[in-house]
Amino acid sequence: MNGKTATEEINSFKDFMIFIRSELKPKGRIFTIFNVISAPIILLGAILIVYRLAKGLGWPVTNLSQDFPWGIWIGFDVMTGVAFAGGAYVLTFVVYVLGAKKYHPIIRATVLNGFLAYVFYTGAIFLDCGRWWNIVNPMIGNEFGVNSVLFLVAWHFLLYTLAELVEFSPAIAEWLGWKKIRKILASLTLGAVIFGITLSTLHQSGLGALVMMAKWKIHPLWYTEFIPVLFFISSIFAGLSMVIFEGTISHRVFSQQIDEEHHRTYDDILVGLGKICAVAMVGYFFLKVLVFIHGKHWSLINTPMGYWYLLELIGLVLIPCLIFVQGVKDRNLLSIRVAAILTMAGIIINRLNYVFIAYKWYIPMSERYFPTWIEIVITLAIVFAEIWVFRWIVNRMPVLKESPEWAREE
Amino acid sequence: MEGFTYIDIFATEGIEYLVVIVFLLLIIPFWMFLNR
Repeated sequence: MNGKTATEEINSFKDFMIFIRSELKPKGRIFTIFNVISAPIILLGAILIVYRLAKGLGWPVTNLSQDFPWGIWIGFDVMTGVAFAGGAYVLTFVVYVLGAKKYHPIIRATVLNGFLAYVFYTGAIFLDCGRWWNIVNPMIGNEFGVNSVLFLVAWHFLLYTLAELVEFSPAIAEWLGWKKIRKILASLTLGAVIFGITLSTLHQSGLGALVMMAKWKIHPLWYTEFIPVLFFISSIFAGLSMVIFEGTISHRVFSQQIDEEHHRTYDDILVGLGKICAVAMVGYFFLKVLVFIHGKHWSLINTPMGYWYLLELIGLVLIPCLIFVQGVKDRNLLSIRVAAILTMAGIIINRLNYVFIAYKWYIPMSERYFPTWIEIVITLAIVFAEIWVFRWIVNRMPVLKESPEWAREE
Repeated sequence: MEGFTYIDIFATEGIEYLVVIVFLLLIIPFWMFLNR
């Protein structure tokens, strides 16, 4: 299962092709439960994507309408997915700017996850565009759309994806045995990290800013001028919760790649991540309380949407925060993992609220948006395809396993 | 959008200040508590 990196530097195209051909062979068992479930979904999703691009966004492909123009592709894939990818900018800030080297063993996996998230969820935006052939317009002109927050989001997604590719590129160079190129790419890391963090602050909040002009359509318990700030702060603990969740699974699935020392330090890493999540969630909770008091929404609490709001705020922000605190104090890794899962559920519900649950909450149940089976299959296909690519890369490149000796010596 | 509603944004100013001050007073001891 251990992928080999090129021990001899690849100097010719022929050697490169021989190496790539050997790397394309499957590593590990083919008929695992995960593969048997995900492969047909990915194949079906690919066919449905072609169908969607040919037939358009209307029924039967999606249940989107003039009343509900955004559904799970935007709400789950883009908004939630990008929030979960926030672990990359937080962790790179902690490691490269604050100098907390303790988290260095997981930095490559986190940056890879973030990179793949942005690539695949840009694809999800592409699928959600009615005129998908116009998606290049914010980049090339033909009406840039500079007045739209989406113009900023489009450019930021592109630039941040490139920044993360630069951050991850030393691992690719180590895999291919490109020593000189690896040295150059490693020197670009800090700049790419700083650029990436700067970008992230704006596009994480920018995704929240997308709903700012829908003031009368979003339930007052959720609508506030501080939506962008709330989105940014929640992306901190959303991303780190995803790092905890993904790290837990990766450490089991790829455990033979990870050396003894990394296995020993992983507990400390999890406790540290739990601490940061707890503090960020306390800050977020206080901000939500402040917004609630400022809006004087007391009378709305004793309504069905009020109970839903309390479930999100108390059940999926405050309670996971307290579980994180308990997990950190007792060094209870199970508590930290449970808190991470509850936090992720809270983020999913929070983002979906802004897109189609608390959005036009006044429309009767029978006329509300519910995703079609095609939307659900395509969403799952995107997520599974991302996992397949992540697994392909981790099995071959030095992500969880150590870099080759020549790279460590530099 | 129906008509004009007057919203006094300073009505809850006092309690908001209290919430912010409580947060600022608690956050550093909270971080120290987590690190103990």
